Order: sequence, then C-alpha cells, then structure tokens
Amino acid sequence: MRRLFKFPWRNARDIRADVDDELRFHIEERTSALVAAGLAPDAARTQALREFGDVDDARRYINALDRGTESAARRKDYLGELRQDLAYAFRKLRSSPAFTITAIVTLALGIGANAAIFSVVNGVLLRPLPYPHAEQLLKVYQANRSAGNLHASVSPLDLDDWRAQRTVFADIGGFWYSDGASGVDLTGDGDPQRLSAVFITPGFFTTLQVGAAEGRLPREDELVRGGPDKVVVLSNGFWQRQYGSSPSIVGTHITLEGAPYQVIGVMPRNFAYPSDRADVYIPYSTITDDMIPRIRPVRILDAVARMKPGVTMAAAGAELNTIAARLARQYPEDAAWGETTLVPLRDDITGNVRAALLVLLGAVAFVLLIGCVNVASLLLARAGVREREIAVRAALGAGRGRIVRQLLTESIVLSLAGGAAGVAVARAGVGALLALSAGQLPRGADVHIDGTVLLFALALSLATGLLFGLVPAVHASRAALHGTLREAGRGVAGGARRARSVLVIAEVALAVVLVVGAGLMGRSFIAIMKVDPGFRPDHLIAVNFTISTTRRPTGWQQYYHAVIDKARTVPGVISAGATKDAPFRGNGERDIFGPPGYVVKAGEDPPTARMMHVSDGYFQTIGARIAAGREFSPTDRAGGPHLILVNESFAKHWFPGEAAVGKSIDMAPAAINGKSEPAQIIGVVADIRQAAMDEPARETIYENNMVNGRVKVALVARTAGEPLAMARKLREAVWSVDKEQPITSIETFDDVVSESMARPRLLTVLLGAFGVLGLILGALGIYGVLAYLVSERQREIGVRIALGAPARSVLWMFVGRGLALTAAGLAIGLGGALMLTRLMSGVLYGVQATDPLTFAAVGSILLAVAALASWIPARRAAHVDPVEALRSD
Amino acid sequence: MAALPVVKGTLDVLVLRALQWAPMHGFEITSWLEQRSASALEVEDSAVYQALYRMEERKLIEAEWGVTENQRQARYYKITPQGRAHLKAQTAQWLRYADTVTAILTVAPKQG
Repeated sequence: MRRLFKFPWRNARDIRADVDDELRFHIEERTSALVAAGLAPDAARTQALREFGDVDDARRYINALDRGTESAARRKDYLGELRQDLAYAFRKLRSSPAFTITAIVTLALGIGANAAIFSVVNGVLLRPLPYPHAEQLLKVYQANRSAGNLHASVSPLDLDDWRAQRTVFADIGGFWYSDGASGVDLTGDGDPQRLSAVFITPGFFTTLQVGAAEGRLPREDELVRGGPDKVVVLSNGFWQRQYGSSPSIVGTHITLEGAPYQVIGVMPRNFAYPSDRADVYIPYSTITDDMIPRIRPVRILDAVARMKPGVTMAAAGAELNTIAARLARQYPEDAAWGETTLVPLRDDITGNVRAALLVLLGAVAFVLLIGCVNVASLLLARAGVREREIAVRAALGAGRGRIVRQLLTESIVLSLAGGAAGVAVARAGVGALLALSAGQLPRGADVHIDGTVLLFALALSLATGLLFGLVPAVHASRAALHGTLREAGRGVAGGARRARSVLVIAEVALAVVLVVGAGLMGRSFIAIMKVDPGFRPDHLIAVNFTISTTRRPTGWQQYYHAVIDKARTVPGVISAGATKDAPFRGNGERDIFGPPGYVVKAGEDPPTARMMHVSDGYFQTIGARIAAGREFSPTDRAGGPHLILVNESFAKHWFPGEAAVGKSIDMAPAAINGKSEPAQIIGVVADIRQAAMDEPARETIYENNMVNGRVKVALVARTAGEPLAMARKLREAVWSVDKEQPITSIETFDDVVSESMARPRLLTVLLGAFGVLGLILGALGIYGVLAYLVSERQREIGVRIALGAPARSVLWMFVGRGLALTAAGLAIGLGGALMLTRLMSGVLYGVQATDPLTFAAVGSILLAVAALASWIPARRAAHVDPVEALRSD
Repeated sequence: MAALPVVKGTLDVLVLRALQWAPMHGFEITSWLEQRSASALEVEDSAVYQALYRMEERKLIEAEWGVTENQRQARYYKITPQGRAHLKAQTAQWLRYADTVTAILTVAPKQG
C-alpha cells in the first residue's frame, strides 16, 4: 500500500490535528464532488456539512477513541522494544563473559551484603514484636530524678498500685528475670538441673496478649500470695529439650525447689520474652519474704504495660506519673520515686544493638556504592569499545532516548542477575551473621530472608542498575549523536576519560569513608583488648550453682565453705574461691551505704554502691591486685567485726588523698531501719571490670560471703593446666559434698571474656571486611582507569620516548595522574568521613570518632594502595617500545 | 421512497465489507456505501468515521496516512485478519437473521 513512513508516537495535540485533517479532507472531497455535479461552491459545502452530521460531536468521539488506540499501541510497541532490548542485552552480555561475570560478582557481593544486613535490621529493628498491636506495648521504669536514675526497676508493691489505679492502660504486668540469677532447681527428673526462671506477676501475659501453645496460662488467682500459685508454664525450648515436646506433660507435677508444681501450659515457639534462654514461667508470689522482701524499696521487677487503643504515650506517661507522684506522697520510701520513664517495648528490647546495626547498614551501603562505581567504570570502558556499534544504531534512526533505554536495559539485566545471586549471598550471610553474633542479637529468631527482604533486594537491584548504568548510557548516546562514524572520536574519548576520572575520585572518596569507619572500629577493638580487666582470665574456671534454701534452711554457709575447701584439694587446682557474681556474669547488687559522718536528710536518698559478695581467697584466685590492706581470710567469720573491702574507684571517691584501709562506713544508714551498722575497710582492690570489658568499674563494696551470704555461687578455681580439663573434677568435687546439688554451668574465663568481646569483635570483623573490600575495589578502579589511559595513549608515549623522554618521566606522568585522582578523592572522602563517623560514636570505645591517627593512617594507606595501583600500568607505559607503538594502529 | 435508517450494529459490517478488497480512505468509504445502496441508506458521514475509529480501537481495521491519486494526504483504512473474521461471522449472522425475520414476516399466519 501507499505507506509513506511510520509516524513516531503522537501526543494528544498530534491526534487532534490528525483527526481535523481527516475530517477536513472528507468535507473538501465531498464538496468538490458536489461542485463537479453542478452545485455552486457555497451550496456544495453546506450540503457536504449537512450530510456529514454533527462535526463537533464526531470529532470529540473520534479523538477520545484515537487516544485510547494510540496508547494501547504504544504499550504494545514498548513491550516489543523491551523484548528486543532484553534479547539484545542477553546476547551482548553473553558475548563478553569476563565483563559480565566481574560485574555480576561485584553486584552480588554488594547487594547480598546489603540484603543480609538489611534482613537483620528488618528482623530486629523494623518488624513489629510478635504480639498483637505491639505498638501499644511499653516498658515502664521507675525514675528517681534526684539520684539521676531514670531507668530503675519497679517495686512489686508500687506495681500493684499502678495496676489497680490505671485507667488508660489495658493492663500492666511485671516479671523478675535475671540471666543466671533468677532460677529454680529441678529435681527428680534425671540429673538435678538449674532452670532459668521468669517470675511473673498478674498482668504479665495479659499485657503481652499471648496465649499458651499447649494447656493454659495462670489465672489471676494463681498469681497472688495465698492463692494456688504452685503452677509453672514451660518455655517452648525447654519443653522440647526436656520433654520432647510431649503434650502429656501438661497437667502433671514437676519438682521445683523441692516442691511440686503443676505444669499448666507451654508457651508458643516464637515467644522469647524476656529472653530466649528462659526455661520456665513461675508466679512471682512463690518468692517468699526471706528470699526477697516484699517492701517498696526493693525495686526488682521489670514492668511492661499495654496502652488502651488510641492512647498516646504522652497520656500514658502522664497517668503513670500522677499515680507515682501520689504514691511518693503516700509512702516515705517512695518519696524520691515520684516519676516513671516509658519506652516503647521494641526500642527497649533492641536499643543497645540499634547503633551497631545502623553503622553496619551504612557500611554495606558504601560497599555497594563502590561496587556501582566500579561497574559504571567498566561500562564506560565498554562504551568506548561499542561506540561504533551505537553510532550505527543511531544512524539507522534510533533516537537518543531509545539508545539510553537499550543500554539501561543491559545495566538492569546485569543488576537483576547480580541481585538474584545476591540473594544467595545474603542467605549465606545471614546464617554466618547469626552464628557470629550468637547471643548478642535480641530477636535473633525473627531474622530471616522474607518477602520484605526480597523486595528490598529487588528495589536495590533496580536502583543499582539505574545508578551505575545511567552515566555510561547517557555518555554513549551523546557520543552517538556526535557522529562517531566519521572520525575516531577523540573528543568523545576525552569525555569518557573525564567521566571515568570522576568515578575514580568518587570511588576513592567512598573507600576512604569506609576504611576510616573500619579503622576506628579496629582502634576501639584494640583499645578494648588492651583494657586491664583487673583480673587474669587465663587458667581460670567457674562452676556456677545455687544453694537451695528450701533443702538447706540452715547451715548453708558451712556447706558453701565445704564446697570451696573441697575444690581447693582437687589436684591441679592452685587456688579456689567463690563469688556471687563472677566478672561479666553479673553486676552485683545496688545498695545504699553511709560514708563516714553521713547523716540522712529527709527526702534525699543515701549514696549507693555496687555490693559484691566474695569468699576468702577469691581475689587471689582470679588474679586481682590488692592495692592496700588484705583480702578476706578464712578466719574472718560471722560474729566478728563487720569487715569489707572496697575497690579503688570507691576509695578514690570517698577517701581522696587518704588511706581507705582502717576507715569505717555505715552499711545500714539510719533511714532504713534505725540502727547503723559500721563496717571496717580492711583492703582496697584494684578496679575489676565487672559488667563488660568496655564499661569502667563502678564504686564497689565487697562483702564477706561467710558473714553476709548469697545463695548464688560462682565457684572459681585457678588451675595449673588447661582449665577446661578440670571441669569434670570440679563438678565431682561439688557432688562429693552434696550429690543432689544442681549445677547451672561450668565455663572458663577465656570463654567468658571472649563472649563479652563478641559484639565489638563482630563489628570489627565486618567493618574490616567491608573496608578491605572497598579498598580492593577502589584500587581496581584506579588501576583500570590508568591501564586504559596507557593503552589509549600508546602512540603518544611512543613519540615521547622516541624524542628522548626518559622512562622515569613517563612513569611519573602516569603515577602522578593516579595520585592526583586519589588525592582529590582522599580530600572529599576525609571530609565526608569527618561528618559521617560521628554517627558511629555510640559503638566506639576509647577512640574519638575524629581520631587524627586513624584519619592519617587511612590517608597513607590509600595513597600507598593508589600508588601501587598506578605504578603497574605506569611501568608498562615506561616500557613502551617506540618503534612498536608508532607502527601499530 | 425515503432513505432507510441503518439498523443498529450493521454499519460496522458494511464498512468492513467496503474494505474487504482494498484499503480506502473515509471519503471513499462513504462514497462506496452510497453507491452500493443506491442512496437508499440514511447514513450520516460522521457515523462512518465513528465506526472507523471504533473498529480501529478493536483492531478490526488499521489506519495509516497515505497519498491519494491527486497527491493529497488521506488516512487509509485497511482490514485486519481479525476484521475479516469478524466480517465473515457478522455477515453469516446477519443473513440468518434476515432470513428468519423474512420467513416470519412473509409466511401467512395459520388460520385458527
């Protein structure tokens, strides 16, 4: 047919014009036909219009239809082109496997690392807690503003009052759980075991709104004193371990603390609050006054609350503060505790890993950005090679947008392939992360690769493809328009070179930020490693158990010492002692005391210190240094004078510039029970890091466990040989004194210290890995650009050498070029790092986020790497044979 | 005899029939219809154009700009394979319909 040409896509105005043209043509044809038949022109036109009917109506109708037809066709055409582009992209990528594989691997690592870290962030920080309407859940603390303590635990009596007087809360509940401290002995079922217990108050389960997976949860009347409260709910993990998930255990009785408890239910598998290490949930009412007195000053419970729907945190806080203020007026013991602090439960659970996770997320984002820059740079190099091909396409009528689209299709195919491989990387990465961070990650069970993570990976892949594809694509299309067919395209090559230089600068800058981050983390890890914990963890082992006061209402202190004595006789044990809280396994108790001359003032709380309970020989065993005086001896027994040791922090604070040994403090300032209890300081211990390696020691008072004892025991022994080899002998020593004694755990202090370093180590390892990756990619980028430059300027170099330029000057020309690019990137990167690493300060220890040493070191490392990466291609340039170079091309 | 109004839905078939052998522009189609019907059908030209665009959207015909013998630009319509199938089916249906109606109307009613 009389096909002229295919019109490109028409917009609404084109369509209108087309329709008008067509209708006008019709009217004119008809008019001239009528004129030919003998009508006067005017009459002919009038008749033609009449025959046509309503022109405006027809025009409107036709216009609308045509627009629909047009856009449908456009869609179809677009899909056709996409199919074409995809086929072309696949063909192109298959034809250069080295490039394709390099790009896909780079992207897979980048996207995979991001998806892996994101799945942790998603599981831990973003996903709601596994409770209905988890956004209504709060963690509640009592606050004592005058003491600067805004996050204190809650007194059971205050909690009862809060619950009774609440109006905007659906419910409030509490629990006592302390890893290693809150526990019960399980006997009569295989070896005696120490179970990790959560002691719960009424309102705990109803606040969380969880149900039992098997059986039921305690009724209100089973959670109060005097009620039928000898009931226990098993955690799913314990149910699985101990009873093989047998439902028939529900309804039976088990022996806890020597008493029968009815198993009434089992928690669901995903319930891990307050910890995935909890074995059993027991009513707090079973704790008697001689274990933990039920009085207001005993603030021991963690409290959770659920706001009624629609209640804001501000309203919730206002109500609790009103109630707390009322209680403060009502009860003198609560005078200073007239406030509360509310924290969303999710933030409370994940608070201490948030900073670390966000730093990691930022770091992997940088790795991916560097990867993008590298792939973009590879694409630019390829674009140089493909200039001719693209120019041909342009000459055949492909518009600039069409060429950009086709090149972008290639990039996105690449990035999607990278993303798909990245998901596999992420899968492995998540597994490794969870293994590496064992026990360090709250909500670890919620971390997996789910739809959200896959969506994230997809979005990231698309964004990545656009990011690294856009610059080279626009560049190539511009080149095409400049008519590369005619000439070799010097100007274009120059443009590509400029673009690649910019990319190298960007890459160096990104790498600098990443490496500075890794460097700071490494420095702070070294700082932590260098910390003197105040004891010697090598050849030290702890046997943890708890003495049952039910089985041993009296005489347990004799038992305690008999066990220590027995341990001392074990061959291979150099010395032994005991403490309630071994370092990194508990932070002692916080208690008030009266320094010399202290007079209690109304409305003011006495000072507090950490109380640790230790046996004689404890400090010698753990290798702590006695700075002054002596430690407890076996002859310091109950009935004698009250003797204590203090740590150096305590001595410095309360007895500055004088000897603390010989001074007395009041262990029971009059405010509480009316009679003072002077205790004499017999020794000062060098500070021991008790809470964690990176947490300085607090002011601490050491009590003699023989005088003021605690039933939780960490029996520590210094061994001559490998400490773990002594584990069995020590356990047998304990059982030789009492074969019914449940043992909680046995651990060496090398392990304990290593575990306490797990988080900084994990961060250091990951950031270090990311930093090295960034450095390698950056070096590859510099190398690539210079290698390309050298090959491109072969002829010019040949001329220079032929004209007598010394090899050295050619060498320096290229090394200088590489270093100039690096210096530019370095300047930008250091500036960026200066701003960005501040965000890291939360995870750093003993080093400033602006640490000049780190910055200087990173600068020199990068320059060195850049010099090496430039030197290799530069040396090739210096060895160009002028004859060869001039003959070729 | 007054011109007959076109029965609803038959204009499309008539236009397709016009395009069966060769592509035409709109004016040719209206002329063809007038000729074939000996001006017996009352068809407004605008209705023909509406039918053309409607069928273009339904992919029964395709349109393309071309040049007439007088070197004028005109929009030519061409029937698609889908259009041919449609024409065939509609023609058959129309003939059966007309036969049926004719039969009913021409057979003398049975005497009770």
